Amino acid sequence: MDRFKSMRRAGVRSLAAACLLALAAHAMAADLVVIVSAKSPVTALRPDQVAAIFLGQSARFPDGSEAVPLDQRLGAPLRDVFYQRVASKTPPLLKAWWSKMVFTGRGQPPAEVADSAAVRRRVAENPDLVGYIDRSALDASVRAVLTVQ
Amino acid sequence: MQHPIRGHRLAVSLFALGLTLAGAAHAQSQATPPALSVSGFGTVGVAHSSETHADFTSSVLKNSGAGGTRRWSADVDSRLGLQLDLAVNKRWSAVLQLVSEQGLDNTYRPRVEWANVKYQATPELALRLGRIALPMFLTAEYRKVGYVYPWVRPPVEGYGALPFTSGDGIDANLRWNLGRVRNGAQVFYGHADEKLAYGMHAYGRKVLGLANASDLGALSVRASLIATEASTPLAGELFEAFDAFGPAGAALTRAYAIDHKRISVASIGASYDPGDWFLMGEASRTHSRSLLGATRSFYASAGWRHGVLTPYLTWSRVRAAGATSDPGLPLAGLPPALAGQAAALNAGLNGLLATIPQQTSASAGLRWDLATNTALKLQYDRVSPESGSRGTLINLTPGFESGRTAHVVSVAVDFVY
Repeated sequence: MDRFKSMRRAGVRSLAAACLLALAAHAMAADLVVIVSAKSPVTALRPDQVAAIFLGQSARFPDGSEAVPLDQRLGAPLRDVFYQRVASKTPPLLKAWWSKMVFTGRGQPPAEVADSAAVRRRVAENPDLVGYIDRSALDASVRAVLTVQ
Repeated sequence: MQHPIRGHRLAVSLFALGLTLAGAAHAQSQATPPALSVSGFGTVGVAHSSETHADFTSSVLKNSGAGGTRRWSADVDSRLGLQLDLAVNKRWSAVLQLVSEQGLDNTYRPRVEWANVKYQATPELALRLGRIALPMFLTAEYRKVGYVYPWVRPPVEGYGALPFTSGDGIDANLRWNLGRVRNGAQVFYGHADEKLAYGMHAYGRKVLGLANASDLGALSVRASLIATEASTPLAGELFEAFDAFGPAGAALTRAYAIDHKRISVASIGASYDPGDWFLMGEASRTHSRSLLGATRSFYASAGWRHGVLTPYLTWSRVRAAGATSDPGLPLAGLPPALAGQAAALNAGLNGLLATIPQQTSASAGLRWDLATNTALKLQYDRVSPESGSRGTLINLTPGFESGRTAHVVSVAVDFVY
């Protein structure tokens, strides 16, 4: 009977541990950083500045140098989280925004690459580029200029 | 969009210019090759109106609609758009947009909506040459792209006034910041030519358009002004007949004929859209000393986004800001035969003045986002033409009565690709 209880307790404990792990994994997956090349002079950006660059409203960093956004591929979970947090836009609202821009001749959506590693690679090479990646994909070739929570 | 044949030729030559520039720039720089992208939009919709003595439709440039001509009409909202974007390099690009929808000629022949070459002089300043949508109202430039807005169609009360939606000319777009407020200013100059019914045209000379949009977070405010000198032979025979009645008739022609008349449309609109809900409103006024009259219009709309569903409500109104009738020629002292003729002319003039729209609409609808590029919409409109006006209804038959409410139900699927 006692053995049974302790087994149950152990079971509850491991369940709690699993939950914690899942939460941590979720938090990690959703821990986003906006990055520029380590060669770029830009050190920090505000969420509204990042939103303006990614929505085609601004083509410059605050210091006046040119800013070119680089997106993650359509349907990437990180992409949906990024636009929800930075611009309060769900995928349909973002699609509506770009439809408005494209069909009024105001601009085209940012170029897309496959994943965080590809964004980091491209951003590291070009000081004009700005992207967003999973924090776990950060390395010394790029600089985090905003943590998106 | 106005002159299908001339429009196509213009578009083709602009696109050829774009391609030539592409080749030249490519030869010069050997950088990224020119990129051609194809995209488009469309709406498949049907509308039903309870008013059987007139047609409800989405624009004055339609041949027919729902109600009188047929109870259910697919012509009110259905359309298909195709856009070619040619990005030559960082500075040069060209756009061609064709739209197929029912026109005044009752065909779906594609018309050139946009055809221009753009030069991005700096990241903030862009210059365009060609056919450009006139910078009117919050939604004017994208009112054909149903997927962009929550409703089945933008409120019809705002669009009755000016027969022009795009012009041929040049424009400059400048982005500028004031603190955290991001602005986009636009200046357009050119001319416009809209094909009306019976082979007639409406011409706009010296079209000047000014607009500025300001964004601060979820708030967006846009002000615009369009002014042009318009001429059209519409009702020309009526005014020739007035002229034959001497100075009194000539004075009426001067007052009402659309012959080199200044027309202006000014509007200011705002929207607040934090994502979970939206609220928008716009007020505009049109002014002309002609049979187009002067009007003031206003609408407000609000919606709530619950996942894929967006229920919304809209209230909209247009009122005449000037006279909608005229005593016309004095009949006293005229010989009976001439008095009869003069009375008929006066009736003709007042018939035209009654087309100055006066109408109130209340609408409720639901947008359902089926996929990230497709939305299904259901909408109910209570459309009430008032004060002797036909409002925005067309194709009246003798049983029509101003003041009677038309109940309109619409279903539409909007998509972009």
